[in-house]
Amino acid sequence: MNVLKNWKLHVLALILVVICEMIGTHKVTIGPGVLLFLPMLYAMIIGGFISWPKLKLVKLEHMNHASAVLSILTLLLVTKLGTVIGPSVGKLLSSGLALSVQELGHFLGTVIVGLPLAIFLGMGREAVGATFSIDREPNIAIIAEKYGLDSPEGRGVMSVYICGTVFGAVWVGLIAGCMAALQIFHPYALAMGAGVGSGSMMAAATGAITAVFPDHKNEILMYAGASNLLTTIIGIYFCLFISLPVTNYLYKVLTPIIGRRQEKGGATK
Amino acid sequence: MRWTEQVVVFLVTGIIGIAANVIGYHHPIMDAAIGYAILLVITLLGILVTHIMPLKLPMVFWISLLAIFVASPLSPVASFVTKYVENVDFLALCTLILAYAGLSVGKDLEMFKKMSWKIIVVALVVYTGTFVFATIIAQSMLHVEGII
Repeated sequence: MNVLKNWKLHVLALILVVICEMIGTHKVTIGPGVLLFLPMLYAMIIGGFISWPKLKLVKLEHMNHASAVLSILTLLLVTKLGTVIGPSVGKLLSSGLALSVQELGHFLGTVIVGLPLAIFLGMGREAVGATFSIDREPNIAIIAEKYGLDSPEGRGVMSVYICGTVFGAVWVGLIAGCMAALQIFHPYALAMGAGVGSGSMMAAATGAITAVFPDHKNEILMYAGASNLLTTIIGIYFCLFISLPVTNYLYKVLTPIIGRRQEKGGATK
Repeated sequence: MRWTEQVVVFLVTGIIGIAANVIGYHHPIMDAAIGYAILLVITLLGILVTHIMPLKLPMVFWISLLAIFVASPLSPVASFVTKYVENVDFLALCTLILAYAGLSVGKDLEMFKKMSWKIIVVALVVYTGTFVFATIIAQSMLHVEGII
């Protein structure tokens, strides 16, 4: 059994978690915002260093096992959020409209800023794969089926996927912490925003928001959990039927205007 | 991953999860253990339901539905469930999950090093975009509905 074969990995994880929890949460005030350092962020970063291939502490086999463990552990997080939603499911339904409409922000937020920037930086069709969604596993499947993973679109989606795996959670956690500390947005709105559709990113964002608004902890978990659930379930269909066509259309429209390739296109070197 | 192996993984990681709860959030060890056991049972039942149901929907859907129902006012065991599950802190679970996420990062570092700075900037913007836009829309919709 793989679990027993990989016992070293689990011992490492135990030591890592114990050390990170002993360090605890720390806040650093920068200007109007606060940078939040949560045990989960240390765990991710220190874990990343330990797994650095040059150190040879964690074998490739262990890392593959860790990633399999990760995917089933996120289910536990889903259950925990479900039990937080349960007692106040009525309250959640009363804000059903806000919850549904904000999903548009999740699905189109990646394209609105991401696509123009990618085109501006000179990317070709990679831009479509990179920005049509947050590029987690279900989204890769969509691109793989339509274009294949060897295509430019496939390279785009895979690159952002790997970036997401390496620093997605840390980044989203920091952004969420800063946005929460600005005190411009209501914790409920931030919580809904945190439901980006990836277990680890949602966890990092939600954790940061609850650390800034501890009094609203349960509501934050409730809204974030519900929003993440919606993003995950509707996401596959929305990305396939709306996000991807919209991204393709915008790519065609924007490339002649801000694309660098187009400028060079006329003048042969 | 096989069914039996999933159970063993949950049990092994459970020990780590309980340790996180006791050290970081000062929950009594027995309460945290019972809370974790409840979460585990719901999760496993959810996985089972996903396999049984003829309608193909993501695992997260069935697990959520089951967890929401078990803790809802309709459920006879709701108070028992919520009382113990409260001892499993959300943040402690996050530390556990991100520790494994961190320990798996090494396999992607080779590819990551080869990437141009451009795609990394685009990725940062993509994640920021999805979070910020959804938050802005949620904020205005909650205002319109008079909830905040």
